[in-house]
Amino acid sequence: MTHNAYRQGFPFATALTALVLFMLVAGSARAELLIRITEGADAALPIAVVPFAESGAMPAGDKVSSIVQADLTMSGEFRPLDPSKMLSLPSQRSEVYFRDWRLLGQRYVLVGQLNRTGERVEARYELFDVNREERILGETAGASANNVRTLAHHISDRVYEAITGDPGVFSTKLAYITLNRTGDETRYRLQVSDVDGKRARVRLESREPILSPAWSPDGKQLAYVSFETGKPVVFTHELATGERKKAADFPGLNSAPAWSPDGKSLLLTLSKDGNAEIYRLEIASGNLTRLTNHWAIDTEGVWDHTGRGIFYTSDRSGGPQIYHMERLGAEPKRITFGSRYNARARPDAKGEYVYYVHQRNRAFHIARINLKNGEESVITRTESDESPSVSPNGRMLIYATQQNGTSVLTVVSANGGAAYSLPAADGDVREPAWGPIVR
Amino acid sequence: MSVALHLLIMVIALAGWSWTSPVSEPEPRLISARLVSPEPRPSPVVDEQDQRDLEQERRQQEERERQQEEAERRRQQEQARQEAERQAQARQREEEQERQQAQARERAEQQAREQEAARQRAEAEAKERERQRAEEERRQQQEAERKAEEEKRRQEERRKQEEAERKRQEEVARQEAERKRQEAERRLREQQLEALADQSNREREAEARRQQEAAAARAREAQMLTESEKYQSLIRERLSQAWYPPSSATEDMTARLQITLLPTGELANVRLVSSSGNTAFDNSALGAVRSLTRYPVPSDRDTFERYFRQFTIEFNPQRLR
Repeated sequence: MTHNAYRQGFPFATALTALVLFMLVAGSARAELLIRITEGADAALPIAVVPFAESGAMPAGDKVSSIVQADLTMSGEFRPLDPSKMLSLPSQRSEVYFRDWRLLGQRYVLVGQLNRTGERVEARYELFDVNREERILGETAGASANNVRTLAHHISDRVYEAITGDPGVFSTKLAYITLNRTGDETRYRLQVSDVDGKRARVRLESREPILSPAWSPDGKQLAYVSFETGKPVVFTHELATGERKKAADFPGLNSAPAWSPDGKSLLLTLSKDGNAEIYRLEIASGNLTRLTNHWAIDTEGVWDHTGRGIFYTSDRSGGPQIYHMERLGAEPKRITFGSRYNARARPDAKGEYVYYVHQRNRAFHIARINLKNGEESVITRTESDESPSVSPNGRMLIYATQQNGTSVLTVVSANGGAAYSLPAADGDVREPAWGPIVR
Repeated sequence: MSVALHLLIMVIALAGWSWTSPVSEPEPRLISARLVSPEPRPSPVVDEQDQRDLEQERRQQEERERQQEEAERRRQQEQARQEAERQAQARQREEEQERQQAQARERAEQQAREQEAARQRAEAEAKERERQRAEEERRQQQEAERKAEEEKRRQEERRKQEEAERKRQEEVARQEAERKRQEAERRLREQQLEALADQSNREREAEARRQQEAAAARAREAQMLTESEKYQSLIRERLSQAWYPPSSATEDMTARLQITLLPTGELANVRLVSSSGNTAFDNSALGAVRSLTRYPVPSDRDTFERYFRQFTIEFNPQRLR
């Protein structure tokens, strides 16, 4: 019986064996080679921004294509080709020879034409993917003749977004404080400029210190600390009108304003109760809510990306460290441990990283912590770094550092890959604040 | 006897006489027939030995007497004979006449009888004919009936035969069909069995062949794998240098591209088989793949065909800057 069963089972066993063998052979034959690429180039992306063809008299000053090149360079993600190395200067698709650009190692080519009609300048521009030989962008945009920088930044934003998938931030604004000393005259100035530092305008000038400018979410107001009254007072400042309001003038310290995502309240650090604590101030009503209560210093509060919790600095552990209170009133959690000094947290808008000032070996750097895995990494190579501010797209970071004995602003890509120093203004430049994207 | 004999002689004598004397006148019937001769005396019985002389004498005597008598008697006889003859002749004539009359009568009677007989015969014959005709008719009718019956019977018989034949043929056809069906089934079973056997054989052979081939292929593949790994890492390195992950890339993004190369290492085709969900990321991968003008590929054609004719590249950043 067993023998019989075996005999009956034999063909099945044979078939099964054959099937398994076949699957092995066919499977291995079909198992296509898979190559995983887990790391990209360290270098920035090569892009050729061809000088735009011009018709009509252009205003003096920087060319649109030059501004775009500078913007892309500043991002740290692009490496624009020097125009002197270009084999041709096409301004439209029919003139683009992909083979040439490929030979030059370029991934993208931006070409365009500018037409001036009256007081208006119009740009037609096209972006090509050299390797795929495809046009990935083709638009027109215009601006008044004295606003070609705005036009250029807009083009930069469009190009950046088309290639990276993230919105460009070249049309956003920076706010910062300059300090000039001429003789024994000291001038503090609150200034607002383009992200490349150009077109800076002074919004407030004072003999007394101005600190901690902070952008309202709509980009229309700034809040800051001014000592103009002899003591730190928080003001809100309407940029369009120049109208200023005292937001917080409590006894003691009034500092470190930060806007809520809805723009209706400010986080403040007040010492009116004897110790520096974090409060929430409802701007319209003036209602004040205390958010922290600890014998140590709690300061530099900022909303997390959810708008429900806050990060802040506390020295309750003996030195300044960054804490996260996920809900107002909840038990705060310390998130930085890498060194004895971590302060001035600035979270990105996606909730992925928090940037902060980090002291290591008596030097101050900007570091960031990955909120998912707690990994902390230093992203600046300079020392004496302070006041980090993250770009609204989370891709760039601006901070103040010391250069040749003066304080300057430096922009780095958020991963620390590239650094771009803004043109030095007169004197020290401090306390930068990156403005929001204004649609 | 002697009397009859005498009589006869007398008749003959008479007739003779009559015939001798050509007297034509018939004798009158007066002397009709009269017995003439006396009774013969019986002869004495004498012993022959004893009485011979006597007898001799006496016989002479007697002879004389007898001769006298004889003469006498002959004369008488002659007379009688003549008389008789004459009478006989008359009688004969009468008789002849009567005979002839009788004959005529007889003939008439005979004729009448014959006529009657003929009539009767004719009648009988007619009757007979009628009877025969009727008989014949009846017989024919019977015959016809019989024939009709016969015909009917035959037809019935034929119909039955035909029916039987039809049924038989149907049965034959059915049996034939059944036989064919069974035959077809049998053939089918045989074919199936044959096919199974064939298949089994083929499978065994194929398996043996496959095993041999698999062994050879494994050895070859091991060699090719080593070779391919070298070129895989070369390609990985080149692509890593050529890939610019966009700023929007995250570590959970993966784009898969299917690459088709020419043996020269030139890119024949690239197809995005699995998107990362991020256009910029996908484009960066596509750009990287297309940026290589020539892929490092093994010169061994088999290894190339096996691994590098078509393969997949997966872009998945593990450590973003």
